Amino acid sequence: MEIRKVGRYAWRYGWAALAIVVVFVLLALTYDTVQDAKGTLMILLENGLLAAISSYLLIFLVLLIFRFALLLLYSFMDHLESLYKGRDKSAVLYREDSSLPMISLVVPAYNEGPVIQAAMRALLALDYPNYEIIVVDDGSTDDTYEKAMGVASESVALEVRVVTKRNGGKADALNTGMTLARGEFVLNMDGDTKLSPNALRACIRHFENPKVGAVAGNVKVINRENIWTRIQALEYVEGLAMARKAQSFGRVVNIIPGPLGMFRKSVLQQVGGYDRDTFAEDCDLTLKLLMRGWHIEYEPAAIAWVETPSRLLDLLQQRYRWTRGILQATRKHSQALWQPRKAGINCYILWYMLFEGVMWPVSNILGNLFFIFVFWQYDLSTLLFFWWLQLMLLDVVAAAYCVVIEEEEPSLIFYAVVFRLFYINIIDISKVLASFEEWRGNAMTWGKLEREGKL
Amino acid sequence: MDLVYILAYIILFTTVGTMVIGLVAYAAFKLRDKRKPGKNKSDETMNVDGPLEPVFLERYVPGVTTDPAVQPAPDDR
Repeated sequence: MEIRKVGRYAWRYGWAALAIVVVFVLLALTYDTVQDAKGTLMILLENGLLAAISSYLLIFLVLLIFRFALLLLYSFMDHLESLYKGRDKSAVLYREDSSLPMISLVVPAYNEGPVIQAAMRALLALDYPNYEIIVVDDGSTDDTYEKAMGVASESVALEVRVVTKRNGGKADALNTGMTLARGEFVLNMDGDTKLSPNALRACIRHFENPKVGAVAGNVKVINRENIWTRIQALEYVEGLAMARKAQSFGRVVNIIPGPLGMFRKSVLQQVGGYDRDTFAEDCDLTLKLLMRGWHIEYEPAAIAWVETPSRLLDLLQQRYRWTRGILQATRKHSQALWQPRKAGINCYILWYMLFEGVMWPVSNILGNLFFIFVFWQYDLSTLLFFWWLQLMLLDVVAAAYCVVIEEEEPSLIFYAVVFRLFYINIIDISKVLASFEEWRGNAMTWGKLEREGKL
Repeated sequence: MDLVYILAYIILFTTVGTMVIGLVAYAAFKLRDKRKPGKNKSDETMNVDGPLEPVFLERYVPGVTTDPAVQPAPDDR
């Protein structure tokens, strides 16, 4: 058993090392081309506009490299800290079964008929002695309520409550669940999510620190069936293993994901629960907690398996809502953007969110258009290649690191190339257009995705 | 033709291609969203600009009541 585990580690490390060696060999092979192109780059400084765009892209690249380096460093520090904490047996407040507090699991469900039963059955099998399940049917037009009642009636040992209400949106359903919750802690999740059996035990330990108001879980893609869902699996792994882990080192996780977030109920009440004025209620709530000084940590061992869009248009629909929702939440807390002394770290969190949500996609598209123009106008093909290569290099290094840390499939590293070559341009265009619509104030709706029942 | 030149051409075609696909897909998504049947009929409250009404609580309006316990007794008239 132990040998097999060591073998798996070696296999994963081997692939990660090979991927990094290949991209660096590619970089070394192009050395002569860089030498040859030395004099030709002066063309970019002949025209004022070209010089300005080149300078902007250079600043963006420096910021991007700085971002990757910082996230990798902090993420690794958090990883080391969690390994150390795992060995530390001094804090035992929430380790004994008899001392474990009650947790209320709130499952908002709107037209989750195909997946609600699988999600609920996974909840019944959780390894925790003291919890209840509250399913809030948010006025579904399908058979979500009947299916949820069916599973609830199967449960004998555990209390499962299914309530139905008029449709009012996800925030409203979560607030309803919070009101009905009897536990000291509330775990909010999605109706299409399957939790790992250890999720509650893994999260509750963080609350031994009284400054911690909430814990974000680790979200993974369950339906890795085609190229879209596999690239999303890599995106999730990178977003969580690198970005959220790094943020967790500073106790400032900026988004508690909808599929798995545990809160102190008193903290939820203190901030007034979820607001209904944004389309990213999870991001908005997280910012409200951070603004009040609560610490938010990330727990990689608490896994929420989710079904992601497997078709392009569904994917764009999801990203459109995320982009506009995050911008709405950022705008709502924008006073912190201009008050670094008063807002402290929260100011930097908001700027970071704007960098990721707006500056990165805009710069990526601008860079592509600029280097295509330079290619066509001045026959400088090398610039387009090196622009792409350095971005791909960052992607592959990040993917290799995340696959090792998260103990994921090594094949995901290959998808970092596919991600850069085919995927990110499509997503960035939708992000930029969604940001533009948000800026113009266009009306929008939630855009509920059809579930395929892959849980 | 060296390796960089060949790769640069591949990147050029994929970049232009994916950007065009991105624009077309976005337009298709917006069109699908617009054509969704009865989008606002079944899901009015999902829209941030739509009507937001309390779900559990009946709004209290002073002076208008149907509760017989607080109706004026016939003798009082």
